[in-house]
Amino acid sequence: MDKFILNILHRPEMVPEYAQNAAGKGDGGASESGIYKESLDIFKLQQQIAHENGFKTTIQMTYSSLFNDEAVSIAKEHHEKYGDEISLTLLGLPCKEFREKYKTHDFCIWMFSMDDKKAVVDDVFGKFHERFGFYPLSTGSYYMDADLIGYIKRQYPMVKCAVATCWEEGPKAYHTCNNSWYTFLDGGPWNPWIPSKQNTHAPAADENEDSGIVAVPHISRDLLACFDGNGSNFGTHPQNVLRGMIYKDGRFPYLYNLIDQYRSLKKYNRGYAYNMMFVGPGWMNKKGRWEAPYELLVKSYRDCMAYYAGLRDRGELQDMTMSEFADFYRSCHTYKQPECALWKDILYGSQKQLFWYADPYMRTCVDMNQGGAIVDLRPYAAKVRRPVGIGTGNVYDASYPFLIQSMYRAGYFTHYAGKGTIKSCKFTYKGEEADLCLCRTKAGFSEEEGCRILTLDPVEIELSGLKVKIQSVFTFKEGSSEIKITRRVLEMSDPSCEIGFDEYMTACYGTTEYPEDMNGIKLITRGEKTEEIVYAYRDREACSANGTSAEAVITPVNTKVSVLPGTRGCSSYAHEGYAFSPMFTLGLRGTLKNGGEVTSWLRLEKAD
Amino acid sequence: MAQAGKGRLNYRCPSCFMRDLDIDMFYDKEKKEYYCIRCPFTGTEEEVVKLNEMAKFRYKNISDRITDFD
Repeated sequence: MDKFILNILHRPEMVPEYAQNAAGKGDGGASESGIYKESLDIFKLQQQIAHENGFKTTIQMTYSSLFNDEAVSIAKEHHEKYGDEISLTLLGLPCKEFREKYKTHDFCIWMFSMDDKKAVVDDVFGKFHERFGFYPLSTGSYYMDADLIGYIKRQYPMVKCAVATCWEEGPKAYHTCNNSWYTFLDGGPWNPWIPSKQNTHAPAADENEDSGIVAVPHISRDLLACFDGNGSNFGTHPQNVLRGMIYKDGRFPYLYNLIDQYRSLKKYNRGYAYNMMFVGPGWMNKKGRWEAPYELLVKSYRDCMAYYAGLRDRGELQDMTMSEFADFYRSCHTYKQPECALWKDILYGSQKQLFWYADPYMRTCVDMNQGGAIVDLRPYAAKVRRPVGIGTGNVYDASYPFLIQSMYRAGYFTHYAGKGTIKSCKFTYKGEEADLCLCRTKAGFSEEEGCRILTLDPVEIELSGLKVKIQSVFTFKEGSSEIKITRRVLEMSDPSCEIGFDEYMTACYGTTEYPEDMNGIKLITRGEKTEEIVYAYRDREACSANGTSAEAVITPVNTKVSVLPGTRGCSSYAHEGYAFSPMFTLGLRGTLKNGGEVTSWLRLEKAD
Repeated sequence: MAQAGKGRLNYRCPSCFMRDLDIDMFYDKEKKEYYCIRCPFTGTEEEVVKLNEMAKFRYKNISDRITDFD
């Protein structure tokens, strides 16, 4: 396969979140009818730009637009004339009719109570049917929780595609908006996937887990810039790039670099690559957005669309509507097929490289700038059930939990008291220690016999005058729920020496920067004897000679994580944390000679 | 002192932007300056524009077209 697919979505929002608020500030405000007209005009302009460039779009009707004859008429006309898909979004709920009926300013569907979710869905889908005479094949929101998708599929089984998450829009987006934007949606895949019935973020492993839809992310985001920065600055949303101030003299090559890097992901995914563009009308309103004037907002939209059109004209892009894409995706993907991305920095000039991997068992990120340390790990194998919304006990946090998140929980540790979440390897010789986290390197990708292999360029460490060249290889076997990690000693300045290794993983659990209750987590080591610690913040260590595993059972996220050695002869250990360092460490310790290697596995399982 | 409003464009606070915070500034017509409602930043439009340019210092590839992704 050699395909780069583009989904273009537009929504006649009528009362865009931003325009309504902006209108109320400073210059006397605008009437609701004035906003309606401006918003519809923006939608019409977006449609016009897409059609001028020869693209068909997916028109996601909003609740408010279903009350507007002109919006409905445009959708019908464009469906007939351009082949646009008439779809339905659960964004854009706010309008007079909605407020009168539901008596609330809430507008994010995943935060409503389940009863209200059902009522809103039936109302919106019913209204859609009333206006168009059929039900939509696709839908979406910023996030679609598993119970919501399940309800929609039961009631409206024709729905096959949904915008279901915003990649890494979580605490970072909250902070960027002065702690006021409640899209806690971290931890999902960055490219389309088939959500499981249990948790939208975790892909289905088989037909039994299949939620029945193909999910697409809300825009395609920079896999490096968004990991540490505001997700809303770095995506295939031209005005987001302006929001990030990533332009100079009205030019924004970064946007094209981002699109091209997404195109390049074909080489990691059997010739398939994807992009999604979805700009709400508020981002092209006449008042401008922050310091970007209207003219620049529109120019960025036109330029981006023209760039996509140029790719299509050269045979390098194919546009599809959402439902077309769902059919295409299912025709060429198996459940267990992973999504891979060896992503390089295209903005900061750092040469930094991250490898992202997602399958039904895990999402993880390997940072080559830290010697191949695992800096993010989400245990999809656990399919953590996390109902979200009013009445669930979890009103807003839709993020999938991590075990490792080096940005939220410290990562490689740089001060004197405590530890941070990361998986790496340390080497020792004559009392000196070196962690691969401090060895910047690069990696190459290959696929062999159902395995995706990440081979890192060798790095050199120096311990008490001994120079050692080490190479790391990460192997992801499809469907295994494991990562195989090999550390090879390629060279030693004194070949007669023996060095110590500590293949370790420091982890915890959570969805934000703040620690969770670690009490009750079970830490177990197996080997010549089995040792167990029940977490109580007492800084204890369990250790088994001739270790066969070091394990943690983390009940709050229904996860068992194990570190397993490839050979006997090393010890397995588990270290409890303490109040100032609420983590745990699992590891393997042993020795290596020149030319030797140690292999270990990181395994994720459901705890129950 | 008169109530503050919005200026010609809806500038964000450049100081907060550099710490990944998008915060609208307000405009004091009497002093002819923008001010941040969260941090102590104040500045004229000219200063804000200059600082916004400075905030781009971290984007070393801002003007580069990249074609090699290996």
